[in-house]
Amino acid sequence: MLIVTRRKFLKLTTGSLATGLATQLISFEDIANAAISRPLAANTPILVVVTLYGGNDGLNTVIPFTDSTYFSARPGMTYPISQMLPIDAELALNPAMSGMKTLWDQNKVAIVRGVGYPNPDRSHFSSMAKWQTGSPNNNLSTGWIGRWIDTQKEDPMLAISLGSVLPPLFAGAKRSGSALPIGGLVIPKGVTGAQLQKISTPSAKDSKLMAASATSMRNLFSVSTDVQPVLKAPAPLAPDLPTINGGNAGGDNNLAQQLDVVAKLIAADSPTKVWSVSLGGFDTHANEANAQAALLGVVSSSIYRFMSQLKSTTRSNDVTVLIYSEFGRRVAANGSDGTDHGTSGPMFVIGNSVKGGFYGDQPSLKSLINGDLAVTTDFRDVYASLLEGVLKSPVEPSLGNWSGRVNFLKTA
Amino acid sequence: MEAKRVETARLFHRFGFGPKPGEYAAALKAGIPATRKKVLTLSQTPNSSVVSDPQISDLGKRPAANSPQIIDFAVARRRQIQDMQLWWLDLMVLSPNSLVEKMSWFWHGHWATSIEKVEYALPMYLQNKTLREYCLTDFTKLAKAMINDGALQVWLDGQDSTVKAPNENLARELMELFTLGVNRYTEQDVKEMARVLTGYQVERTTGQVKINPSRQDKNPVTIFGSTMTLSSESLTELLVKRKDCQQFIPERIWYRFISSSEKMPANFAAIKAFSSRDISQAVSATVNSPVMANPKYEMVKSPVEWFVAACRALEVVPSQLQTSDKLINHLDKLGQVPFSPPNVGGWPAGEGWLSSASALYRVAFANWLVPQSQLSVIRETSISDRTRKSADWLGVPEWSARTKAVLDENSADPEQFTLMALCSPDYIVSR
Repeated sequence: MLIVTRRKFLKLTTGSLATGLATQLISFEDIANAAISRPLAANTPILVVVTLYGGNDGLNTVIPFTDSTYFSARPGMTYPISQMLPIDAELALNPAMSGMKTLWDQNKVAIVRGVGYPNPDRSHFSSMAKWQTGSPNNNLSTGWIGRWIDTQKEDPMLAISLGSVLPPLFAGAKRSGSALPIGGLVIPKGVTGAQLQKISTPSAKDSKLMAASATSMRNLFSVSTDVQPVLKAPAPLAPDLPTINGGNAGGDNNLAQQLDVVAKLIAADSPTKVWSVSLGGFDTHANEANAQAALLGVVSSSIYRFMSQLKSTTRSNDVTVLIYSEFGRRVAANGSDGTDHGTSGPMFVIGNSVKGGFYGDQPSLKSLINGDLAVTTDFRDVYASLLEGVLKSPVEPSLGNWSGRVNFLKTA
Repeated sequence: MEAKRVETARLFHRFGFGPKPGEYAAALKAGIPATRKKVLTLSQTPNSSVVSDPQISDLGKRPAANSPQIIDFAVARRRQIQDMQLWWLDLMVLSPNSLVEKMSWFWHGHWATSIEKVEYALPMYLQNKTLREYCLTDFTKLAKAMINDGALQVWLDGQDSTVKAPNENLARELMELFTLGVNRYTEQDVKEMARVLTGYQVERTTGQVKINPSRQDKNPVTIFGSTMTLSSESLTELLVKRKDCQQFIPERIWYRFISSSEKMPANFAAIKAFSSRDISQAVSATVNSPVMANPKYEMVKSPVEWFVAACRALEVVPSQLQTSDKLINHLDKLGQVPFSPPNVGGWPAGEGWLSSASALYRVAFANWLVPQSQLSVIRETSISDRTRKSADWLGVPEWSARTKAVLDENSADPEQFTLMALCSPDYIVSR
């Protein structure tokens, strides 16, 4: 089982080879033109999917701070209670998540507890493939958003992933989402810039790959003058993240920068309904406490900043953010004050249209399954709710006849 | 475009890492047959005489967090990994045996194993030695050595596969990615094969492998319709003997050396040449094949190929660049760091390397690299000759009119000139 999905995942990550679809790399110019010629209609809901690669430790994210079992299971990698951010009588957010705490206090954060799928798979690749395909059992080669894309009118702007590699999440059978390299914001200037533009001008004599090479360079310089001012403001630099020992299972390291671009493009009326961003580094097999606090601090402050940026636009009520990772981690620390691959973890759903609070049961630390947390909510319940509630689409093409739902959205 | 220049350039860039100054012009004079022969002839000069071997030792188990030893351990571990990466990059630039480096590189992408999961440098270093030793020999020997490779076993969870709980990871990849190709087996074959591959145990810090009989499933299995008792080695032999293997390895050679987008023709010479499973025969048949001169079969240089070729032309040595951390960081931005493939499928090829993001990072990389070279070849050439002669210097068959114009415009400034040449579509693509 493990391998079947892993293989599929690999097929997906090699994209065009497997699905017969080329990854569309779009430029800011493409988005700019689309934003001007066919802006997203007012009040259209937008979904922003945040993938945390590496397996985020849910227990050190939403911390059962009154449970002595928690402290005894991982003595070297907890935080002082005084620094934790309690959000009810039993659970506290990681000390680094002050931005998230503020949003929670504003009732904009739904925390779905114990999310996973049956027969958890502890491989990064195959577990992430299950989450992204939305299919724990079947051997699917498309993502749950990709299958939604298949049901929509063809539009390269419909679903955009930040970064140059398209996640399997966005691979459909008929078409896929697009990838937007964020490096495109930093354009070589001066004489060098001018010469590079010349060296990438189109030529009828170019071979196929030379033309592709020239185009990739040219796209750097082709930002539309109309939308350039929106994008021009300097993007924040990615903070230095800790180097984490262990299998790197993908993801980028500049979540703040990615979300900054997404916020600007949402403000510019890009006709995009689903965005994908990611942060890597959650594979905390050793010395977890500091590393994870740094990472969760980035998640929390980036999301807080993103939600704040939306306030100055007309879209702040339209955007819903989903945060997930491929698995949680074992309850007991390993010998290196880190944790090994585990099972369920919390999902976050954030936005003005979200009913803040807890959903799903908190997995008990007293009744573990082979040392791991139980799964109390199936991720398909969450996906189905987002498909219906945010994307206003039937669940069936993406998830088949899936009946579970989580009612974290306000009813309009 | 002159066919001879195209084929000569391909011989250098695809079966080596690009020409050193003067090599391309000399090869044109010597002619195609002589250049083919030169590419395929292995030098007897030991590698250690050009690049000394890195000191990669057993670091032992990771000390407890917050213990006094942990910092030394972490520093030593990172140092070993970096030394190993620089050692190989140096060899790619300096070794008299470009083909061995290129083939080791090819097999590293084939049996793709990453330090990110293996963690320790020693098993990765030992795997590299194995790939190096067998890179041009009998594929059966290579495959048998790899099934017993500690790093590969760790990477594919082989050491967690027991008679009670066989893990299918290695079994599937052994067929799909390493010997037969996708869909050339059944799910039943995967399950049965996983049973044969149980019992491995690996000492993580050294990569030493042993088979623990009490964890091993020794019962007969039914694979490809026949029931038999197999060891991991006899199983590997059985796979390599299959007709599909004779098709699959030439497919991979085609994909990595000739074209990642055009289909391999049914009569590609490497297929027949691989009937004995001799890798050198397949490579030799490819080098001597007419496809080498066919303009249709262009490739994109991967980031490592592009960087190493630039180092050879610019006469710089990777480990001596300022600083090693920056070098690895540049490669990382471009998405290709030795010993760290993204997944078991290895690195992408072709247009995968041609995103706007990689264009940007390539410019930044070249901007960092060029000032570290004396650029003596360019400085010693008169300004009016620079554009014309630089095609030979870099092993480019012909500059396009567009690139020629830009190079002419920058010919008085050796650094800017070189930057433009390295970032031109003409150089990024191996035509």
